[in-house]
This record gives sequence, C-alpha cells and structure tokens, in this order.
Amino acid sequence: MFNVGCRMSDVFHRVMNTQISMNPNRDDPCTLVVVFLRGAADGLTLVAPVGDDNYHKFRPRLAVRKKDAFMLDGFFGLHPNLSALEPAWKEGDLCIVHGVGGESDTRSHFEAQELMEHGGPAAGGWLGRFLRSRRQTASPLSAVALAPTLPELLSGAPAAAAFESLEEFSLGGRGRNEKVPAEFARELRRLYELEPDALRDAARNTFDAIARIEAIDRHAIPGNAAGYDEHDSFAQGLRQVAQLIQADVGLDAASVDLGGWDSHFTQKTLIEPLMLRLAKGLAAFRKDLGSRMATTTVVVMTEFGRRVAENSAFGTDHGRGSAMFVMGGGVRGGRIIGPWPGLTPEMLDGPGDLPVWNNYRNVIAPVLTRHGAPADLSKIFPDFAVKPLPLYS
Amino acid sequence: MKKTSRREFVAAGAGAIALSVAIFRSAQGWLKDMGQLAGIGIERSLDGPLTPPAAADLDPVSHALNRMTFGPGPGDHARVSAMGVGAFIEEQFAPEKIDDSLCDRATARFGDIWTEPLGEQYDEDPEALPPALRRLTLLRAIYSERQLFEVMCEFWSDHFNIDPTKGDCCWTKPTDDAEVIRKHALGNFRELLRASALSPAMLWYLDGRANVKRSSEEKPNENYARELMELHTLGVHGGYTQHDVMEVARCLTGWTVLARNDDGFSGNLLSPMKDRGVAVFRPEAHDAGAKRVLGQEIPAGLGEGDLDRVIDIVVRHPSTARFIAHKLCMRFIADEPPAAAVDAVSAAFVANEGDIKSMLRALFATPEFAASAGVKFKRPFHFVVSALRATNASTSADRPVLSYLERMGHMPFRYPTPDGYPAAAVHWRATLLWRWKFALALASNRIDGTHIERFHLQRQIGSDSGMMATLLGRQARAEESDAYLKSGDGLALLLASPAFQRC
Repeated sequence: MFNVGCRMSDVFHRVMNTQISMNPNRDDPCTLVVVFLRGAADGLTLVAPVGDDNYHKFRPRLAVRKKDAFMLDGFFGLHPNLSALEPAWKEGDLCIVHGVGGESDTRSHFEAQELMEHGGPAAGGWLGRFLRSRRQTASPLSAVALAPTLPELLSGAPAAAAFESLEEFSLGGRGRNEKVPAEFARELRRLYELEPDALRDAARNTFDAIARIEAIDRHAIPGNAAGYDEHDSFAQGLRQVAQLIQADVGLDAASVDLGGWDSHFTQKTLIEPLMLRLAKGLAAFRKDLGSRMATTTVVVMTEFGRRVAENSAFGTDHGRGSAMFVMGGGVRGGRIIGPWPGLTPEMLDGPGDLPVWNNYRNVIAPVLTRHGAPADLSKIFPDFAVKPLPLYS
Repeated sequence: MKKTSRREFVAAGAGAIALSVAIFRSAQGWLKDMGQLAGIGIERSLDGPLTPPAAADLDPVSHALNRMTFGPGPGDHARVSAMGVGAFIEEQFAPEKIDDSLCDRATARFGDIWTEPLGEQYDEDPEALPPALRRLTLLRAIYSERQLFEVMCEFWSDHFNIDPTKGDCCWTKPTDDAEVIRKHALGNFRELLRASALSPAMLWYLDGRANVKRSSEEKPNENYARELMELHTLGVHGGYTQHDVMEVARCLTGWTVLARNDDGFSGNLLSPMKDRGVAVFRPEAHDAGAKRVLGQEIPAGLGEGDLDRVIDIVVRHPSTARFIAHKLCMRFIADEPPAAAVDAVSAAFVANEGDIKSMLRALFATPEFAASAGVKFKRPFHFVVSALRATNASTSADRPVLSYLERMGHMPFRYPTPDGYPAAAVHWRATLLWRWKFALALASNRIDGTHIERFHLQRQIGSDSGMMATLLGRQARAEESDAYLKSGDGLALLLASPAFQRC
C-alpha cells in the first residue's frame, strides 16, 4: 500500500524548501480536511451495530437492517446511503472510530460544537492552534474554510481565509468592474523584485500562488472521472479543496461543513439525503485526488450523537457518542476502533445514550502528529491528557 | 455621583420616552443598530498645511510618525515638523490633554457599555460584544489623535492577551480593555500588572478563578501563575522554576470571579447580577501557609496580601525589566533589537520603577531607534489602519474592513493563546495577497462602509509627487514614480508597494 505520511521528514523538507528554494509552494504538501457534520449526526445510523440485538429493540422503526447495510465486519454495517465509501473501506483507506464525543454533557449543539471546535475550554480553534504551532507557514493559502465566515475551528490560524469561490484568490474582486489591469501586477512585481530580502521571496510566492489558482480550469473534468454533484454545495466545496491541493498552493488545512443532522422528527427523510451527499462527496474527492490521498487526511466529525432509543416522532433526541471517520493520509483503514461493550441498558449514558468511549481529541491527535504537529500537543489541546488512538498501526 | 445604570434606568422608566428608549436599547440588536453608522462621514480635516515630506529618505519626523502612530495622515508630517519631534512625543505622552473630539464622534454610537458595571455587561448579547470591541478598537486606531496611546493599548493587549471566545471572557474582556489596558497603557507597569491579575477576564482566561485550595488534596491551578512569569514578567528563560510556578499559584488561590450563570451558594438563590463578573477573594479557598517565591519568603497568613507580595517580587526581578524592555524594543526598533537599546530601556524601567513613559522616553532617545527607520514590517492591523489614515478615509470599520484583518490572521482580540499576536515579520509575510487586495479595493472605493475622496485629496496636495511623498513619508524613488504612473492605479500601487508595508 502506498503509505507515505506527512511525518517530520516531509515537514523538514518543507522547511528546507522555504529557506533554499525560490518556490516554497512545495510539491509534497499534506493537507488536513475537516468535515463537520453540524446538528449532531446519528452515529448509530451512519455506522449501525446491526449485529447488536438491543440496537433493533431500541430502534424498531429506524434501525438499519442487516440485509440493507454494507457490512464492514460481521457486526457493523454502513447505512446503504453511505455505500459510496465502500472502495475506501475495502482498500484500507477508511478508519472508523465509534462511541466518539466530547466531555460536554449539556447536549447543547452550541456548547458542544464550540467546545469541540475549540478543543476543550480553550480560546480559539484547535485547527487554528495547530497551524500556529508550526510557525513556518509560508503560503498565503495555508488554511481555507468553504464557508461565508471563518469557523471557530480555524479561529486563531495564521492567514486563514473563508471563501465560497476560488475566484476570490486573485488580485481582483468578483464583480465585473473589479478587474485589475495587467500592468498593475506587472509594476507591483517589479517593485518587489527590487527588494533585497525575504519580502521579495514572499511576493514571489504570492504571485506564484495566484498564477496557480488562475491556472485552475474550474470546468475541467476532475481526476479519474470523479463525479462531483454539480448542484451539491458540499461536493463542490470538496471539489474546490481538491483543486487547491492539486494546484500546489500550499494548502495545510481546509474546513468544509455539512449541516442539517438534527433529526428529532422523521429522521430518515432528514438524514438519508445527507448521508448520500456525504458519501458521494467524499468518494468523489478520494477518486479525484488518487495517489495524493496518501498525503491528504479527511476527518469527519460531529458534535455529539443521538439517543439510542428512537422517539415517538420517528426521530432521535440529543445523545452523547457518535462516530468519526478518518480517511486517507496513510491511515490503517478497514477497521472500526471500539470498544463496543454492547447496547445493554446499563451500559448507556444518562437518559439512554451511547457513551463517549473515545474522546474526539484522541482521534485527532495522531492525525495532527502525522501532519507535523509538535510532539507536545498540550498547546493544541490544553488541560487534556492526550492518548492517541492507534490509527496508523 | 453614581451613574444611572441601564437596568436602573429601564426599571425606573415611567413614560413613553423612557420606555421606547428602553425597548430600543435593550433589544438584542441595539449594539448593532447604534454601531451601524459609526465612523461614516467622519474624516480628519485637510484644512491645515499639507506640505509633503521633502527628504529622499525617511526623515526623523516620518520615522517618528511611522513608529509612534498607526501611520501618518495628510498634514501630519507638516504639523509634527512645525512643532518638532520632541514636542510631539511629549504631546503624545499626555493623551488626556489632546483634543480627540473627532474620535469621540466616530465612536460615540458605541455608548457607555464599556463603562457599565460588569454584571450589567452580562445583559449584552455575547455575539455582539466582541465584534463591537473590535470595531471600537479599529475606529480609535484610525481616528484618535492620541496615537501613541492607541499604539501602546495594542502593545499591552498583546502582552496581556485575552481571547474573548473562552468562557465568560466575551462579557468581561471589554472591561479588561477599559480598566486594565487603557487605564494603564502609559502608566506604571506594576499597576498594569496588578490590574490584569485581578481582571475578571484574566481570571477566566487563565483559569485563576479555578485556582482554589479548600482541602489538603486540592491542587492549585498553575495556569495563570506560569503565564504571569513566562509571558507577563520574567520571560521563559527569566530564571524561575517549576517550584516558583507552584508557589505563585498557591499565593493566588482564592481569587475568583462569579460566573455569569452562577447559581449561587445558598440553595437555588441566584447571587445578584451586580456581584457577578467581579473579582473577589475568598479566604476559605486560599492556601494560608507560608510560601517561597523566587527565593523570597512570604509568611503564612497574609491572605489576600500574598497578591501584592507576588506582584512586587516579580516586578522587581531583573529579568522583568529586561523582558519588557526587549519586547518594547521589538515593537519600536527592530525584530531583533540591538542590545544597547534594550539595556537603556531596561535601566529606565529599574530607575523609574516600571514607569512606562520613562521607558518609552529612553527608547526614543536611543541612537538605535534613530537608525532603524523603515526596517520594520507592519503587522496587518498597522497596515490596514495606516492605509486608511494615509488616504483620509471615512469608515465604519465594520465587517468589510475587519474581514480583511481576519484573512490576514490579525483580527483584534482573536488570538487564541496567551502569548498574543507575534511581533516579528516572519509571521506576517504570507499576508501580502490580502494587503494588495485591500489596497486595490480601498483605492477604488470597493469596501462597503469605507469611502475615500482620492481626487479631492490629490487636488489638495497638489501634485503626483506630493501625493506619493505623503503616502511614503519621503520622496518617491524613480522606480516607484515610474510604477505609480504605469500601473493603472497609482494610489493602490503605492499602498501595495514594499515601502508601504514597512515602517
């Protein structure tokens, strides 16, 4: 298996690049893509414990049937709407962690999302602190969010940009009267070329990044004929992230949201289309990037899971543990990391929720290490004793 | 006389006028409503002489304006030239004597929320307060004539950084800004440090409020104690040990602040709102034993008196004078400041017991300061404000401007960790694209809520060469004039040029 990670050698190489090369928009980037499923996605539908009898007792109308599921092992099955993830699973590129969540037990979306994006009761986002912790960022496009405003996750990041269209990465604006004359860039470049120091190199990097963005053919057919849904903003967001990765602009991190998972009523009608979008988007992204998935990690997370027992409205209420996906980046996939003591009533948390067996930070920690985080993660996850899960071994 | 608080005002509000005002002001959106028009239509006067700088290189006046202000506006060079740099520095050292009516007008719509008692601020919309503080800060940086004061407010805001996204800090940071940073920005370092130690926002941000010792098993929370020495006073290599951190933490046990959602200590009775968000000392949560901090004994039983002993010990430690001096020299001289300048400023700290003006006076008098013209790379906030000032822009300083700062990673009050935004250029060079875009958008009036009268300005100044010199603080070089004329947008080009990124 192609298993080149983003370990220190790559990072070292990158640092060296920024110092000795004219072009630090390196050719060996590693990018971390965080997909946040806002609204608390039901982990028990995404990754259903179809082999657990109690699951079917708690969910007489909503449980995923074994015959419908894409079986991951003898016990867990993916919801059929996630079957686009089958190749990633079979090729060992997708790892699933179940019973994941944070320590917030208020079951409040706002508080749980904020705590999870901040990485605990800390200021700023963990992804922002991770990017800051490395300090050698040379790219003007090191972090992006496919959103109208910067999510808390990226708060505090150096040079992070929220955008909805790649066109914003040019000297001009989006409007027709915002074109910048060619002579402007030419004269500006000329002045920066006269600079004797690092400022000249920074300007060269910037012009280089602009050129790479401009060279992206937005209507080109994605790699490996990957099919992104034209009308799905989530898929198009991932597609633009893939374009940035392929354009080698030095993208370190990206954040893409998929909201709408708060399924108190008629859960199936709410989340089945979302699962389809999630899986198809991720599958297209993986296909598009091809071998570059080896240095690209996608983390899918949600603020908390949902009550084990379904409610009277064909829905589920706020719970605790849910599932997280880690795809690509050399993860040792085709595995579900548990434990799974079973859904017996006495195992459940509070009003009957899947407990949090795995803190989300223990899933993210090994990924950050893989992506060049400093050995000491206490600045990224303060006041938390990190116990990284074995995603790579 | 006691100021009438908004709540009291509302409570007493008989009559239609009072009621309608109360409804307007207590609505969740009132902050937004009243902030909407701030800054719009307000610009500095161009009535005085606008004589541009005449020297080929940055002269001492341009140098002083570059470093001691957020950038000169049209006419500033002529005014400071006439009075002399020395007189300008002394003028800036007495901000209370400087007429600041323009800035007052630009910020008037933010009302008096910043002077409310803390418990009352808890009524405000948490989503609206930090953005309002950001705008207020930006408006002051742009419009205030008390420029050195604003520069120092920025400096101390980084030094005692608090990110309002933690806990109750969204409500308590505005008061920290007023009562800690702005109150002491040009005052005495010891007083500043003490105010910060007891700032409700700091007690939240660095967990001081959770630093309690109520039983022998309870371990103090060391977070603030460590940062107090590592970041606020001695510096990381300043000579303290882990044992000192633990001892300082013990000294500060018991200082806490009631949370906004405090449910009281007696049954389900809520403590009165006015008591929340206020720093209090709770003797039952204090470690009353003897301590030893940086080699000095603190006897048992001093209670809340431990705090002042700790403050005295750390402020008088020689590493603190040096650490603060080094940081000031980084801000005002160079990323790697010459040792002689640091020595001079450090000596001024010691001789004047932490008087901040004395340190700055010593700093501005060093030959190293004089020799450093144009070598610093503006941080994004400085760049944006200097461009707005140079073009005499009128601006609401709202989202459209702040979003540029967000993209450059320099949104005020949004730095997550307690070390504050970094000073050195290396952290900021990746922001060029957004600076260029800002320059282009500003020059062609494409930023909503911000307006410049570029042709009026050009007419008032009189010539292309005068316009260029006004922006650059010196006569343009041949290649700059050439680019100015050929670029298709000379104003944007100069704002985006390498020279304008420096100060």
